[in-house]
Amino acid sequence: MSDLDEFKATYFDECSELLLELEEQFSAIQEGDRDSERLNAVFRAIHSIKGGGGAFGFDGLVKFAHSFETLLDYVRDGKVELSEDVIVLCIRSIDIVADFVGAARTGDALAASYGAVEKAQFDALARGQSAGAASTDDEPMDDFDIDFTPVAVNLERELPMASTAPATDGMTRWTIGFTPFPTLYERANDPLLLFRELGMLGTMTVTPRLKPMPKLADFDPFGVYCAWDIELVSDRASADTIREVFEFVDGDCAITIEMHEGSAPAAIALDDDDLPSFAALAEMAKAERKFIATGDADDMGAGADLSALLDDTKAEAAAPAPLHLVAEAAPAPATAANRDRSTDAPEDSASSGRPVGMQSIRVDLDKVDRVVNMVGELVITQSMLTQQMDDAIRDRYQELVRGIEVLAQTTRGLQDAVMAIRAQPVKSVFSRMPRLVRELASKTGKKIKLETIGENTEIDKTVIEQLSDPLTHMVRNSADHGIESPEKRVSRGKPEVGTVRLSAEQAGGNILIIVEDDGGGINRDRVLEIARERGVVGPDQQMTDEQIDNLIFAPGFSTASEVSDISGRGVGMDVVLSNIKKIGGSVHVRSWTGKGTRMTLRLPLTLAVLDVMLVKVAGSPYVIPLSSIVETIQNSRADFGHMPSGGKVLQVRGEYVQVVDLATRFEMTTDQAEDSRFVVLCEAEGNSKIALVVDDIIGQQQVVIKSLEENFERIDGIAGGTILGDGNVALIVDVQSLKSGTAHQTAA
Amino acid sequence: MRVLTVDDSRTILAMLHHTLTNAGFEVLQAENGQVGLDMLGREDVDVVITDINMPVMDGIEFIKQVRATGKHQSLPILILTTETSQDKRDQGRAAGGTGWIVKPFDPEKLISVINKVVH
Repeated sequence: MSDLDEFKATYFDECSELLLELEEQFSAIQEGDRDSERLNAVFRAIHSIKGGGGAFGFDGLVKFAHSFETLLDYVRDGKVELSEDVIVLCIRSIDIVADFVGAARTGDALAASYGAVEKAQFDALARGQSAGAASTDDEPMDDFDIDFTPVAVNLERELPMASTAPATDGMTRWTIGFTPFPTLYERANDPLLLFRELGMLGTMTVTPRLKPMPKLADFDPFGVYCAWDIELVSDRASADTIREVFEFVDGDCAITIEMHEGSAPAAIALDDDDLPSFAALAEMAKAERKFIATGDADDMGAGADLSALLDDTKAEAAAPAPLHLVAEAAPAPATAANRDRSTDAPEDSASSGRPVGMQSIRVDLDKVDRVVNMVGELVITQSMLTQQMDDAIRDRYQELVRGIEVLAQTTRGLQDAVMAIRAQPVKSVFSRMPRLVRELASKTGKKIKLETIGENTEIDKTVIEQLSDPLTHMVRNSADHGIESPEKRVSRGKPEVGTVRLSAEQAGGNILIIVEDDGGGINRDRVLEIARERGVVGPDQQMTDEQIDNLIFAPGFSTASEVSDISGRGVGMDVVLSNIKKIGGSVHVRSWTGKGTRMTLRLPLTLAVLDVMLVKVAGSPYVIPLSSIVETIQNSRADFGHMPSGGKVLQVRGEYVQVVDLATRFEMTTDQAEDSRFVVLCEAEGNSKIALVVDDIIGQQQVVIKSLEENFERIDGIAGGTILGDGNVALIVDVQSLKSGTAHQTAA
Repeated sequence: MRVLTVDDSRTILAMLHHTLTNAGFEVLQAENGQVGLDMLGREDVDVVITDINMPVMDGIEFIKQVRATGKHQSLPILILTTETSQDKRDQGRAAGGTGWIVKPFDPEKLISVINKVVH
């Protein structure tokens, strides 16, 4: 059922936010902030997770959340002390709830005992406070599990006849005495509606017992001036079903229910304390009319008779609740039965419904992406227009030029506004880190505190999605390799608890994400030794400290002497670099021996628009991402050399770089003279370089990336396509794959 | 027929919206009591369905405030809650709640409960 899937998607979205909130609140609580609003917030969050989970039948989740919630309720009421142990238990349990939610989302089954230890601890803590009370473990759950069937609750006295089912064939006559208290009207309950519901059980005769009306000046709109005696003839009513009709007014009225079988009435009087006065009132009632209401709603119009009766005493201004509502019954036909409800307001059923007043709307990301793309195109078209205005045009068409200038401003504004729609706080990625650090600390026996700064900094959603893996790797690295064991830290005169600081800030057109630790810093001797062993660095090559530090991003490099369960797995920091490059970013590390390490990620604000260099190869336009270009050199000035294998190399500042002729690589021929061509020196993964030879360099511009795989098929060496201002398609050169492709070829 | 739904859970709001619009109701949504109260100041509704546990203004306070405005003394208010502990429900009724709906709710039951309290 697609509706259900949609609700589930909403629920899981909401759970992610609530789990985030739980993390945040408990972090603050752990720091010592015991503000009661925090406790309310965590209670609400767990409560909402449980509530939604119940709707979808996620039993394991609901049961666990229920125990969690029960404990939080006691904590909130001050019945259970929020000790350090309880906080730690709660924080661990957030992870468990997250796992339950995750399992519910993917449909995976968790071990039946999952979270049982923590649940038992919750229950024990809760029981401890309510010693002697029934086991909190089971009782509330039974309540919670009930399918919603309105049942008469809180009966003052057990109804002796409750178990006596009415004869299935043959009618039973019931007489019901109904005397409202003022509270019934104060809570907006309406006797007429009760009659309507009661009338659905059979044929009914309602007789009002009127009390004399006070003078208008003394009239109380919520006063009780009328009680009713009801006679019901039904083949299906029972004392229970009748009670059920009065469920919402239980305690707000006096009710007597009597059953008459044959000629021998069996009377049951309930709540009769208030009756005598009304019995007397009934006698005093001068006018008494009966009206008959059956299950058919239209007949309720007869209520108008009653209102006519009351007309002379009806207060005009006060709109008294009981009278007003009764009187309204007449002009409102056919509202009683359920089946009439939908025809009652057909124009309102406009399927869209109008969620008026929401502070935000939820839009499919696809729709936003489409807008982002089109705005990107608009920006490019506009810049093309601007570029084509030469001085002659400027002189001749001043109005047009002014218009285009305004268009440029508006387009930029539109671009910013659209990007803001897709921007999300980095919080969603940062929020996964506390758990990571906790798990890591407990596995390694270290003490680590995670600080996050600037988590409301916003980045394009597409960048955020790509950020999670590299950032996880970096934080793991800091916690696993950076922070020392508590003993070592103490011996070095540092605080026992290490700190990993995660921060985000916007700097110009970039976002800086910094992972910093106060650990031992990078062991440069060891890094250099390994780099030499593995041939990453030549035996005599001299390197600065900074260059050595950044070697940790070199492919296949790992300094962990034993492969750690946590950061190891044979993948090193080079993965971070390649992931970050993929999204057009860069990463840099600095380290201070004995004091700590700082890794800085620099990311573009958005991925939708790419700064590129437009080049020409064999008559076709190609674009090369500006971020990967180091420099461009005219062929005539380039220092080419030949390798014994026949490959061409370029010598730049003492370094030999492989040369790839794009025309040859893409199997085309060019008639461009070799000397008038250009070399574009690019940097690929891990500081490795490649020199691309192109026919001509046209200029720099921004382009909107179009996926080739979605629209055509994957081509090796091409990262995607783009549509230029003149309508031509240009392919985006994939520097990384060209580099690894040549490495492969030369190796072969 | 217009229903104001007040709940801080988007899931519950979405489910209510779906069930109620299918049944021909027009649905207004508010994410907490304060927003609901503001909305009642601007909009006419026939019935209110409200959660109890909400940030900013909870359901109990919301009901009290609604009843305190003269305009809404006879507006039916249904309390939507998973609290079966009777506690919250009684508090809600004491504040002026007309009836209640227990979460998770069955769509048909939801409609029949609404029909119990509105014309």
